[in-house]
Amino acid sequence: MQKRSQKTNSLTSLILDVKNEALAQIMDAKKADELENLRIAYLGRNGKLTKLIKEIKDLPAEDKKQAGRLINEAKNTVLETISSQKNTFKEAAREWFDATIPGEKPNVGHLHLVTQAIEEISDTFKKIGFVRVRYPEVEWDWFAFESLNIPKGHPARDDWETFFIDTPPNSKYGRVCLTPHTSSGQVREMERVKNPPIRMINIAKCYRRQLDVSHTQMFHQFEGLVVDKGISIIHLKGTLDYFARNFFGKDRKTRLRPHHFQFTEPSFEVDISCGVCKGKGCKLCKEGWLELGGSGMVHPTVLKNGGIDPNKYTGFAFGWGVERTFMMKSGLEMGDIRLLYGTDLKFLTQF
Amino acid sequence: MDILVSDNWLRDFLKTSATPRNIARYLSLSGPSVDRIEKRDGDFIYQTEITTNRVDSASIYGVAREAAAILPRFNIKAKLVPPKIKSTGNFVGNVKYLDVKVDHKLCPRFAAILIKNVKIKPSPDHIKKRLIAVGERPINNIVDISNYIMHELGQPTHTFDYDKITDAKMILRASRKGEEVVTLDNKTHTLPGGDIVIEDGSKRLIDLAGIMGGLNSAIDSNTKNVLFFVQTYNPVNVRKTYMRLAHRTEAAAIFEKDLDPELVSLGIKRGIDLFIELTGGKPESQILDIYPKPYKAKKVVTSLPFIEERLGVSLSKKDISKFLNSLGFETSWKGQKLETSVPSYRSNDIEIAEDIIEEIARIYGYHKLPSKLMTGSIPDPLPNAPFTFEQKIKNLLSGWGGTEVYTLSMVSKDQAGNGALKLKNPLGEESSYMRTSLKPSLIQVVEDNSGEKNPFHIFEIANVYLPRKNKLPDERMILAGIFANTKYREAKGIIESLLEKLNTDVNYIAEDDKGFLASKRISIKSKNKKIGEFGILEENYIYYEFDTELLGEESLSVSPYTPLPKYPAQIEDLTLVLPSKTKVGDIVTFMNNADERVARIELTDIFKNAYTFRVWYQHPEKTLNNEEVEEIRIKILDGLKEKFGATSKD
Repeated sequence: MQKRSQKTNSLTSLILDVKNEALAQIMDAKKADELENLRIAYLGRNGKLTKLIKEIKDLPAEDKKQAGRLINEAKNTVLETISSQKNTFKEAAREWFDATIPGEKPNVGHLHLVTQAIEEISDTFKKIGFVRVRYPEVEWDWFAFESLNIPKGHPARDDWETFFIDTPPNSKYGRVCLTPHTSSGQVREMERVKNPPIRMINIAKCYRRQLDVSHTQMFHQFEGLVVDKGISIIHLKGTLDYFARNFFGKDRKTRLRPHHFQFTEPSFEVDISCGVCKGKGCKLCKEGWLELGGSGMVHPTVLKNGGIDPNKYTGFAFGWGVERTFMMKSGLEMGDIRLLYGTDLKFLTQF
Repeated sequence: MDILVSDNWLRDFLKTSATPRNIARYLSLSGPSVDRIEKRDGDFIYQTEITTNRVDSASIYGVAREAAAILPRFNIKAKLVPPKIKSTGNFVGNVKYLDVKVDHKLCPRFAAILIKNVKIKPSPDHIKKRLIAVGERPINNIVDISNYIMHELGQPTHTFDYDKITDAKMILRASRKGEEVVTLDNKTHTLPGGDIVIEDGSKRLIDLAGIMGGLNSAIDSNTKNVLFFVQTYNPVNVRKTYMRLAHRTEAAAIFEKDLDPELVSLGIKRGIDLFIELTGGKPESQILDIYPKPYKAKKVVTSLPFIEERLGVSLSKKDISKFLNSLGFETSWKGQKLETSVPSYRSNDIEIAEDIIEEIARIYGYHKLPSKLMTGSIPDPLPNAPFTFEQKIKNLLSGWGGTEVYTLSMVSKDQAGNGALKLKNPLGEESSYMRTSLKPSLIQVVEDNSGEKNPFHIFEIANVYLPRKNKLPDERMILAGIFANTKYREAKGIIESLLEKLNTDVNYIAEDDKGFLASKRISIKSKNKKIGEFGILEENYIYYEFDTELLGEESLSVSPYTPLPKYPAQIEDLTLVLPSKTKVGDIVTFMNNADERVARIELTDIFKNAYTFRVWYQHPEKTLNNEEVEEIRIKILDGLKEKFGATSKD
């Protein structure tokens, strides 16, 4: 009796020792494979607890049941502790999961490149107080040419370059044309605002009689116009440099070169430093510079035509192609610009 | 206009140590733009762009004159060396060898000289080489002299076979409509009238002046005596003539820009020297020169404060004078006031003080001016600016899978609609009218993509142009789109969501209209005003269209705030069996209006003729109990049964 109960007692305490030892080790485990090794060490075919189970058969019959219950409980406790310990690991895969599986995408659409360009351009100018406007695309000769100091007989007013509407001319405003440039908005904006300051950014469709890989008969321009007291060339330079830094990138700058336009005096061609060679000169640019477009100080006749006193106010203006400016920024090399106004979904859904 | 300038030739007139690369770079910064330099046969060729107002620099000498003013500003010594002239011929108003009558309005300056006993032969190599360098093909010494002077000085000239001018008599006059002239290139032109022509003693036309000489008076291999001819012409007449005859020559391109008459003296004397040198001819000592109104220096007045204000920097009077003098302007200061005297070759370009500013600024150097944003107050925003609203629509539609397109505003006659504006000079029939609807353009896009079998949605926001009498057209900014291969409810759901996100309060009313299949169209109205439409086109595409301005007027920019209900809603699904041809839209409207405690209705399922609606019952001040819900439900079901014959499935 004594002998048997001793055997039972020693097995019971052995079970408790093994269990506690297992739990301590499990609690210390840091990785899933450590836990797996512990499971095998205790509950595997030759595991420490498994071996103890084998010893139950040597116990007195009346003790077998209790020892069995005890060992089962130890086994369950060990298994539960392994599971809960596993759940505390951050990185361990608790179950097989493939995080790399491709997602199911929502049906996402596409904004047109020109829309994206217009948004970026107008946002850039908005930050320095420019007011976005738009004016008629079908316009009087007066606003498109005459008021801009472009005299009759000037090539721009030829039927070769500008589209005209087949309708009799107005006695005051002349013929009806499709506006060939956003400059048509200059005098309209002066008439709207009446009293400067004016900081206009006019973005609109323009039309010219041209059609080849780099020209479409419909295109977009953006026109800046600033009129106020004491506006000089240095403010034009400041504005252009601001645009270059904020639209093209902070290391980009502009330069002015002499040019000629009827509605500005002096007139300038604006270049921007090449983004590829950083101004050193490469095959994409001319000695480190790329042509952006025209600009100049507003001609006093134009101010007068807009009802603004040129002795009191001065201003500057610039007008460039939206498509071209955006291509220069994005570096998109579109062999054929006509694709933009084409209908091919394969093209349109790229952007 | 683009001209080619040879570096070797340029250095005849420009003494400088500047390298070709520096000449190109600095000219571009302060004067004519050199687009490219090309090294060729020991020479450098500058491809140079001359703006239309600067015909005075459209020559090698003209570019030298600019360079001599510009290079010193970059610390490079440069000096202009005018052409050396040997001829001592006198300019006189009458000569024995030619009897001339000139219309001075057409020809401000008329000069000519007879050169006898010329020998026609090829030019010497150094002349040929220079002509080739600037893109000219050497022909013989006579032709080459004309081309040489044109490139060197920018003065077009002409040569007649003197012995072919009947009675040595010339009348320079405006042509009469229908007169004919055969030019050197053997083309017969019937003149529109008002063209500058020269008639000889036998009353035949021997020159289409400013454009091209006549064949009947041309130099040929037997020519002995040459009348060398240097003129300026009225630019407007020249331009009109070449436009109407579509015959633009190099000479015409220069004459149309209003050439300096003073240049004639240099041109004819340079020609005389070259004739002696290249042909061995003997010039008469008297040069015929009919020049009734010689150039009197134009004065333009400005002031130091004006200059400084426009440039934004301060300058000394001495520097200002130096810059202007280097360009040939004379300057005289009276206190702060500056009077400038404009050289003849700049008189067509310099009119006002701003023109003087340009000259000072570019020689000072645009690159040296500081760069600063303007201060001063910021203008008021544009009232009712539409841009944010339009962009919101574009963002929403593209967010739900729409692809934005930009189609051409001009369409064919078929696509244009009645009364659409017609272009006078379209590039083709398919783009000859201003569109009055976006629909045809968008249908075109879909048809061009007929290979696409998956559902797609395209949309555009663009103007249509509605004609108005004696006014510019009404330009309406229209939103339109097409769903292809798409289920009706899915397409309509996108439009409903759009209108919800724009915070509009609209009604959908079934109304037929042309272009749409019968019963398959709804008008979208807000307070009885039509703002758009949606439906299935005869072409079987789902189309929608809104006037963005009207839509904007009905749209709240911020969603209205509704206080959160304090008491929860009771929600249940009702499944109704509807008689065939019942409009579900009407059912929903009826249910919504059946009781004010009905907060919301949604169609959640359709199975055959059974429609399941989810109904939210809600009261602002209490939680509805089952009896109250039942009362409402019975009210709805009874009403539906009575009005639509609908029965409850449960």
